[in-house]
Amino acid sequence: MDPTTVMYITQGMHGLAYGMVLFLVASGLTLIFGMMGILNIAHAAFFMLAAYFAYQITIWTGNFWMALLIGPILTGILGALVERYLLRKIHSLGHVAELIVTTGVMFVILGAVKFFWGTEFLYVTPPKVLNWSANILGMTYPVYRLFVIFITAIVLAVMALILFKTRLGMVVRAAVSNPAMVNALGINVPLLFMFVFGFGSFLAGIAGVTIAPVLSVFPGLADQMGMDAFIVVVVGGLGSLAGAFLVAMVIGLISSFGVQFLSQMAPLLAFAFMAIVLVIKPMGFFGERE
Amino acid sequence: MLALLPHIVGVYFVNVFVHFAIFALYAVSFNLLLGYTGLFSFGHAMFFGVGGFATALALVHIKGLPILAALFLGFFASVVLALVLCPIMARVSGTAFAMLHLAFSMLIYTLALKLRNITNGEDGISGFPIPPLNIPGVISFDMKDSTNFYYFAMVVIGLSLWFLWFLTKTPFGQLMVSIRDNAKRVAYMGFKVPQTKALIYVISGGFAGIAGSVLALFQNVIAPDLALGPGTSFQVILITMVGGVGSFFGPIWGSAIFTILHEFTSRYIKEVEMLMGAILIVVMLYFPRGFAGVLELIRKKVFG
Repeated sequence: MDPTTVMYITQGMHGLAYGMVLFLVASGLTLIFGMMGILNIAHAAFFMLAAYFAYQITIWTGNFWMALLIGPILTGILGALVERYLLRKIHSLGHVAELIVTTGVMFVILGAVKFFWGTEFLYVTPPKVLNWSANILGMTYPVYRLFVIFITAIVLAVMALILFKTRLGMVVRAAVSNPAMVNALGINVPLLFMFVFGFGSFLAGIAGVTIAPVLSVFPGLADQMGMDAFIVVVVGGLGSLAGAFLVAMVIGLISSFGVQFLSQMAPLLAFAFMAIVLVIKPMGFFGERE
Repeated sequence: MLALLPHIVGVYFVNVFVHFAIFALYAVSFNLLLGYTGLFSFGHAMFFGVGGFATALALVHIKGLPILAALFLGFFASVVLALVLCPIMARVSGTAFAMLHLAFSMLIYTLALKLRNITNGEDGISGFPIPPLNIPGVISFDMKDSTNFYYFAMVVIGLSLWFLWFLTKTPFGQLMVSIRDNAKRVAYMGFKVPQTKALIYVISGGFAGIAGSVLALFQNVIAPDLALGPGTSFQVILITMVGGVGSFFGPIWGSAIFTILHEFTSRYIKEVEMLMGAILIVVMLYFPRGFAGVLELIRKKVFG
């Protein structure tokens, strides 16, 4: 194959991998928003924390798979605790208060991470099975990135299965579209909120652990991913999973091809995209509610 | 009291006080949107930063520009930005308003970082000349002197704050509050809601621009992360919330609290972020109406 095609395919794959991880982070964010009306500023901080868990657990156990198992669960539990003991208490005060509290949680996590691990870059080595480059159709591609795409696809499939095929998923979807009605039907909505918040943090946790070997672990990890996840959720329409998926892929490709063609102005593209979409459709592509 | 301050405390605390006053004006201009009109913005820093950058750029490129003209250019640049954005912003409210601000402020922030030949990238513009305050033939104050600059900043910020306070007491100020409480009803009563919102928006942006402009003159440096970034947008939300959204003076209290906290914490402990986060959570859990709300509560308890 000629080098141009190889470049297109490689960049496309990079974009796809980033888009998939981005969607994992964004899906938690959009589920939480759709259901509870909370724009969780701390979401990206949970993502970053999971990457640090991955680093620590890999050091303690010497096993990356252990990190992939335990890291997201810890993050999920932490998320559920934050909902139960902080957010539930101020739910009656409205959205701005919830925004401020999640901002506070973000600062605390950021400070804690710097306190325990410092500010330097930490490296997580992927497991040996995946730590090589495959030779596909005459181009080399790191297998670990293929694994990232693979694992996020599995999580996605499981999530879709739960959401669309189980009773629990049905209740969650109902609560996303009308929490008051679901409450009136006798379902314990506060418990459901705690579950969804924990589950959203769990998804961010999976994304954080999976991406740790690719991007390395440092406090600034949350910045880019947080901003991009925010854009995805807002442009896709708050609360819409389909919108989030579509936009996550677009942003993934925009950022990977943007770096290739417009290295200087690449960060601008995502924000320009967001501004244009919001000017035309203030609620995002699939958004219905304020 | 304010006039005597430089003679009581040292230069260091005079500078801390100017810093406090700048952020007080910035937060009050933000509260005009959030507290009075009920418009929540994620990107108020764009007006603050654009004001600062306009002043700095004008002083770099125009030789012999008087200080008041530089200040006015900062105000003017932010007003123009607000005028350009207001046809879009006046149509929306709630989440869409917040998100559009996030988008545009990040756009401007990234532009400021990337247009290196104009803004000098991350380093920002520094070392531009600070002209003296001249009244031709009468008197000239050297603005590099921190005591003189203190008086200058106090007059500018004081007048701005007084104007904004006066504005909230006029019928127009009542209109802002009624738009927050029930925009539909205001429209039925024959007031033009989008136009009113646009006007408030331009005023709020313009005064944030003045605050940014004074900051640029005060520090003799303006950089994207100093005045234009998402951090600055968040800072003003925190200042306003901790001080108290419900009152005009709340954000001023908030700015004082944050300045004092910053002075103490940055000297004794390293984990400023963790402390800030903890304070935010505690304030929201136990004092949701901020410091102004606490004061109100105490006044009611003590004076009946």
